[in-house]
Amino acid sequence: MSNSVISVISRFLEEYASSTPNKLKVIDAYLLYIMMTGALQFLYCLLVGTFPFNSFLSGFISCVGSFILAVCLRIQINPQNKGEFLSISPERAFADFLFAHTVLHLVVINFIG
Amino acid sequence: MAHLCLFSLLVLSLVLETQALTPTHHLTTTDVARLQAVLSQPFTDLKSAYYSVVGLSKLGISVADAAETCRFIKSNLDPSSVESLFFAAEASQALPGCEIPVSNDTRDLLLATVSEDSTASQIHQSVSALSSLGLPLASQEVVSALKARISKEDNVLTIILALQTASRLSQQAELGEILEEIEDLAARLDDLGGVYLQFEEGLEATALFVSAAYALSDHVDMEPPLKEDQVIQLVNSIFSKKSWDSLSEAFSVASAAESLSNNRFHVPVIVSAQGPAAISHSQPFLRLQVTNVLCKPLSSASVLVESATATSSKSAILSQAPFTLRDGVFELNFMASQPASGYYQFSVAIAGDSRFVANHVELKVKVSTRVSINNMDLSVVDKDQSIGPKTTRVEYPAKAKASFMADSHQIFAMTFQLVDETTGVELTPHQTFVRLHNQKTGQEVVFVAEPDSKNLYKFELDTTERKTEFDSISGTYALYLMVGDATLENPILWNVADVVLKFLDEEAPSTIQAKTLYTPKPEIQHLFREPEKKPPTVVSNAFTALVLSPFLLLLILWFKLGANISNFTLSPSTVLFHIGHAAMLGLMYVYWTHLNMFQTLKYLAIIGSFTFLAGNRMLAQKAVKRLERK
Repeated sequence: MSNSVISVISRFLEEYASSTPNKLKVIDAYLLYIMMTGALQFLYCLLVGTFPFNSFLSGFISCVGSFILAVCLRIQINPQNKGEFLSISPERAFADFLFAHTVLHLVVINFIG
Repeated sequence: MAHLCLFSLLVLSLVLETQALTPTHHLTTTDVARLQAVLSQPFTDLKSAYYSVVGLSKLGISVADAAETCRFIKSNLDPSSVESLFFAAEASQALPGCEIPVSNDTRDLLLATVSEDSTASQIHQSVSALSSLGLPLASQEVVSALKARISKEDNVLTIILALQTASRLSQQAELGEILEEIEDLAARLDDLGGVYLQFEEGLEATALFVSAAYALSDHVDMEPPLKEDQVIQLVNSIFSKKSWDSLSEAFSVASAAESLSNNRFHVPVIVSAQGPAAISHSQPFLRLQVTNVLCKPLSSASVLVESATATSSKSAILSQAPFTLRDGVFELNFMASQPASGYYQFSVAIAGDSRFVANHVELKVKVSTRVSINNMDLSVVDKDQSIGPKTTRVEYPAKAKASFMADSHQIFAMTFQLVDETTGVELTPHQTFVRLHNQKTGQEVVFVAEPDSKNLYKFELDTTERKTEFDSISGTYALYLMVGDATLENPILWNVADVVLKFLDEEAPSTIQAKTLYTPKPEIQHLFREPEKKPPTVVSNAFTALVLSPFLLLLILWFKLGANISNFTLSPSTVLFHIGHAAMLGLMYVYWTHLNMFQTLKYLAIIGSFTFLAGNRMLAQKAVKRLERK
């Protein structure tokens, strides 16, 4: 059983390394970073306590929001999805990404206290 | 028709009268004296002379100096004024031997005033003046003038004046319609709480209405259509005010009082007890004053107790017992029926004249007595009842010679009986208290002694049970017995004995603290909300570093992937875009530290629009380049 899982994972990683364009890999690295930051924040909250609860929430929401926006950018940039995003060029996707981030950070900074 | 109407009203009033009202307000002798003083004030003009002279005559008092008053009236008379003639004529009528000279012009003036065009007051004044001066007048003309006046002016005072005028006319005239006005006017009275009945125009109007209505009713010899309750309510309204604003108000009250005392139909009776309605062996007579509204005793009355019942047991003590008249006061020896002490409800009826109104009165009478204490036995009993109690008998008002000792194993007991001194009947007064007073510390504790089923009072003091009341302080306590009640004439405070109480010493407080009820209490310090516990700085710092560490990981990964900025063109829009974007991030930091949302939005709008334009340009250029590459 575990054998097949390991073989599936290794195959997946091979496929990923070979067929994914570099741009998407860059974004994936960014996604990993965001996820780790969020996880570490959550770990702190579990271990030490929720004392400045608003700060924890804003940090965590920032991570979650950034992750989602980055995922959206990745989807829109992916050349394989071009058929679904005919009117949205990669530049447009990036601009949207920047704008959404501005709004997100405005709210996050407001809430961080 | 009018006769039948009045007769049926009379029958109806008799049938309906189940719970008759009694006057709650009446004039006392001091009030009548005050009224007389007001009316006896020296007069300044003819009007005040009229009020004083005629008012005093209504109270049955003659003016001090009649001759001087007559001269004053004659000198102040103005023969060309109807009002002046009216005042003079009426006042001279009340004074003995005072005649006003009358000329033909005067008579013509008065007769001419009797017409539809004069006001009701003018008609009243001229008719009264004509009748007082003994001049002839045409009654029928007056009646028609009055009727016309009433139909034009329907107010209360006009109708009252019409009634007064009609009472001076000849009995042959047709006064029927004017007589009916009494009933209409009575319907206009305002009933206040079932106690008062008065016109909204005030006390004077109500009092004048009463005197006018009875004057006219007496004149035509027909009972006025006023029910007994209404008469009593009118009495309450008129006599509730004991000091009068003006001479005319005092005059109206005096004339109302006179008409209510002397008319042929309704005479309200005022019954009041002389002093408090309390009877005892030293004062066995219940004395009642029975007077009319002017405080004159009604000697023709016969006063009867219809029933006297005890309020507690509802048993009738007396029935149909008459009062005897002595010195203008009606008295009854109630103690002769040997009533037990307590409160009694008396129902008294006053008979003797069919005109009497409110002649059934309810009175509450108190019978008091003296109490004596019998068989006061004090003893100290052992709790285990092994040793028999030694009882000491004490006689009131002596004190027991030896003091009693009671410690935690013993009970101090007291029994006694309370009896009526004269009859020997057992009593249960409202207050039977046993008070223990520590002379050294000033402490006192009060207990209640309760009677058992045989009316024997018992009091037991168990030292262990009651130690909290005494604060466990041992010592000599003086024992007092307190007996009191509303129906007792001799309340008792008797120092019966001294009791030495021994409590277990270790429970006694070392110092005796006076009850600190009124000393300042300890100050309360306000506790501000304590800030929450923060984790140690080491931990927060460690985690800050930990949370920032993935950024390093990101940089490493990007480097490994070969992400670079080789495509970075140095075109102005690119540079400007990057500057603008950096400025926006800087603004976020400044927002966190200094600004509020509104300021930030303002700056963000400026920087954002700049960045947008630059970015748009840059991205467009990038897109073109991408498409060219394709």
